[in-house]
Amino acid sequence: MDTLLLLAMNGLIWGLIIALIALGLSIIFGLLDIINIAHGDFFMVGTVLAWFTLELTGNFWVAFLAVPLIGFILGALIQRAVIQPIHNVAALSIVATFGLSLILQEGVRITFGTTPRRILPPIQSTFHMFGIDYEIYRLFAALVSLLALAGFFIFLHRTKLGTWMRAVRHDRETAIAMGVPAQRVYVLTFGIGFALAALGGVVAAPITTVEFRTGVDILPFCFMAVIIGGLGNLPGTAAAAVLLAFLEGIIQSFADPTVARISSLVLMSAVLLVRPQGLFKGLTK
Amino acid sequence: MMTPAVIARVMLIAFGAFLVAVPWLIPVILNKFWVSVIAEIMIWSLFAASVNLLFGYIGLLSFGQALYFGFGMYGVAIGVATLGLSFWPAFGLGIVASIAIALVSGIFAVRLTWHYFAIITVVFSLIFYFFAVSVKPLTGGDDGINFALPPTFSIGGVTGSFSDANFQYFFILATVALCFFLMHRVIRSPLGKAFVAIRDNDVRAALIGLNVYQLRLIAFVMAGFLAGVAGALFAFFGRYASASYMFYHVSGEAVVWAIVGGAGTLFGPVVGTTLFIVIREIVSTHWEHHAFIVGAVAILVVIFAPKGLVGLWNAELARWSERTNDASVKTKLRTEP
Amino acid sequence: MTEAVLRTENLTKRFGGLTAVDNLSLNLPGRRLHAIIGPNGAGKTTFFNLVSGLLAADSGRVFFQGRDITGLKPHEVSRLGIKRTMQIKSVFPQLSVAENLWVTRHATKRVLHPFRAASSDLETRERVEHTLEQIGLTALAQRPAGTLSYGDVALLEIGMAVISEPRLLLLDEPTCGMSPAETERAVAKIKQLARTIDIVIIEHDMSVVFEIADDITVMAQGGILASGNPDEISGDERVREAYLGRPEDEDYVEEAIHA
Ligand SMILES: Nc1ncnc2c1ncn2[C@@H]1O[C@H](COP(=O)(O)OP(=O)(O)OP(=O)(O)O)[C@@H](O)[C@H]1O
Ligand SMILES: [Mg+2]
Repeated sequence: MDTLLLLAMNGLIWGLIIALIALGLSIIFGLLDIINIAHGDFFMVGTVLAWFTLELTGNFWVAFLAVPLIGFILGALIQRAVIQPIHNVAALSIVATFGLSLILQEGVRITFGTTPRRILPPIQSTFHMFGIDYEIYRLFAALVSLLALAGFFIFLHRTKLGTWMRAVRHDRETAIAMGVPAQRVYVLTFGIGFALAALGGVVAAPITTVEFRTGVDILPFCFMAVIIGGLGNLPGTAAAAVLLAFLEGIIQSFADPTVARISSLVLMSAVLLVRPQGLFKGLTK
Repeated sequence: MMTPAVIARVMLIAFGAFLVAVPWLIPVILNKFWVSVIAEIMIWSLFAASVNLLFGYIGLLSFGQALYFGFGMYGVAIGVATLGLSFWPAFGLGIVASIAIALVSGIFAVRLTWHYFAIITVVFSLIFYFFAVSVKPLTGGDDGINFALPPTFSIGGVTGSFSDANFQYFFILATVALCFFLMHRVIRSPLGKAFVAIRDNDVRAALIGLNVYQLRLIAFVMAGFLAGVAGALFAFFGRYASASYMFYHVSGEAVVWAIVGGAGTLFGPVVGTTLFIVIREIVSTHWEHHAFIVGAVAILVVIFAPKGLVGLWNAELARWSERTNDASVKTKLRTEP
Repeated sequence: MTEAVLRTENLTKRFGGLTAVDNLSLNLPGRRLHAIIGPNGAGKTTFFNLVSGLLAADSGRVFFQGRDITGLKPHEVSRLGIKRTMQIKSVFPQLSVAENLWVTRHATKRVLHPFRAASSDLETRERVEHTLEQIGLTALAQRPAGTLSYGDVALLEIGMAVISEPRLLLLDEPTCGMSPAETERAVAKIKQLARTIDIVIIEHDMSVVFEIADDITVMAQGGILASGNPDEISGDERVREAYLGRPEDEDYVEEAIHA
């Protein structure tokens, strides 16, 4: 029972981090029609940048600000250099972002190396829960993710840029006709998408390993959240991420992780076939 | 008269002659190692062709072809190592297994299109990937299954076996060439035209009476067959099978090869696959980070040749032949008076 | 009295709160050219979508020559011989004009040969050439359909309908976007076709409607406002009212009456 609660708890926290990453994936897809194969690597780059920040400054907290900022700039640059020239053609975007994924992974291998490393949590203390010592940092990670999610939705609904983004996603032609600067929105969207994934990377860095491969593992999971939540349904995506990770956590308590992974994949196929508009269609709005 | 059609034919003959000459030519100008690289390129080209049949001709972007490649591969490996089959039955098992799984998964997958189709194909391949990783006794997991190569045939005293490098090369060449020939026939047939019509406009295709679902399923199974043959060949070629070849990255590479080479053209996948494997082989001897170059090339090609390399070539050729036609008309006019 | 070629019973289609086709019961006898007119949003195209299987009706039934075709898939409806054109012109843009016709002709065959070269089918090729001449697109035969002008695409759509040898032809605003010369050619073609096949045509151009139609059905808000022969319709007060607020169309009605 204790391990069940523990794994469920871990699942929940992972789910919140995944939700951050998946949101970025979802807005990039919704606004630019880009299937971003490199999105998992954006997360991975976030973890690696967090490691470098810690190495250079000796202070992990700096990473919470610096890394998303670097991520935003990188994302904006990538949009201008790679995504804009292919005019949001989805098939080409897959190839381009696949190439990007290779470049990011190799870039990390060149600079950071291939050895997986661990970062100690900046909050070392633990507290006693369910018969074991639970890291306080994990609770902090959940809190940061929650705040970032809330911040993102406030941004989307309360700022001019957020309104533009929603307008472009809803109906690109009309939005452009109404004077929304679509090109600028694309650049910013890609930047924000990268920044969200990178922030997820910083938050996750102390509770996972830092290496060039983590993006590849996490990508299918993010896509699952986006699909099960419903393409373009942002609250649905966040909810699906939490739900999926939570369920996997629970299944892991009595079966091995692969079984848990296969179960959620089967669940996802069912959702795709029966309700391609997502599980939560009709619940929001 | 050098029309584009004539040029294409000349190039095809030259290409065929080159492939036949490889086992003698390449060891002289390069070395023996490159003969097996070329054999490998042919196998992966066939795999990329399966992506191309779906995406380039019927408009479905599959991100899960590695699943059928994997079934072809494991069909052979399990056939030989576990069931003790000889060459042809194992080959057949691999192909039948991949066709069967393509049919079963296709029944569900082709109900969806576009993004949803791309994602459900990844999901299916991931399900079986994790399955293959976890049932170690059957699949060997990530380590895979190694097996001892059975002879291909032995008639009288003559034995043909993949342990003979030349035999291996020509067997792969013949099989891949046959598959490409079949695909060529399909593309030019009424069935192939119906595929392209569906790619262009599926609503209209249904309105003129084409059973879109059924035709998509047919194409899906055909693509599964091509991937399965490639997987089976690769198993014999490498004498092993491993779950890692079923991971979605393998599917993704084939998508990149097909689109970079030119989706919707018969030889696009060959060109794309050749480009990337040659880059890999050349760069990796000097620099371990060849994937960096591969990624950069992929991006550059989609930016500067969105129709792929073969698409670019065809467009240039068409422009050139138009220009020479214009020129000949003009000179005629000028010489008239 | 012959069996109606197309009959519907209480056909209804809703989109959310909007009822696009409302309890529609129609009876179109054969051997006549039917026109359906009505203001924008009346549900005309939706009616075609229900007949051709692109949309599933919420309730009601559709009969084709006495046979219940409710709920059939688009290709099944098509194979019964009901062909249609689309209001928003819809062809195969990357195929050439000739290939568009070729594919359409072949789509009705039971089995599509997987290996024989398409070009070796001489019978179909002749049909394609013949149809190209009929619609006047022979010169453009090798052009990709996506590069044609709007009017030429509309002609190609008619050609595609013709080459498939329909038993019932549903034309959704076939002359929309055509030049006067093209319209004339299309109208002549439609008239000629109507001699051998049953046609239902949706048309906004009243001069065309009154020139070719034997019967006219006026739709408004998903239901039938009036039906009858052109004289009856042009004298109908309700029809004039339905068109009020759309002065252009009223002009057409006037024009047609005085013509
Ligand atoms: N797929 C759909 N989803 C939602 N609403 C639809 C859909 N198709 C049609 N409608 C609505 O149903 C109503 C009827 O549309 P329909 O296209 O049948 O009209 P129409 O008579 O063909 O008009 P027009 O003369 O403009 O072509 C319109 O209000 C339209 O907005
Ligand atoms: Mg309409």
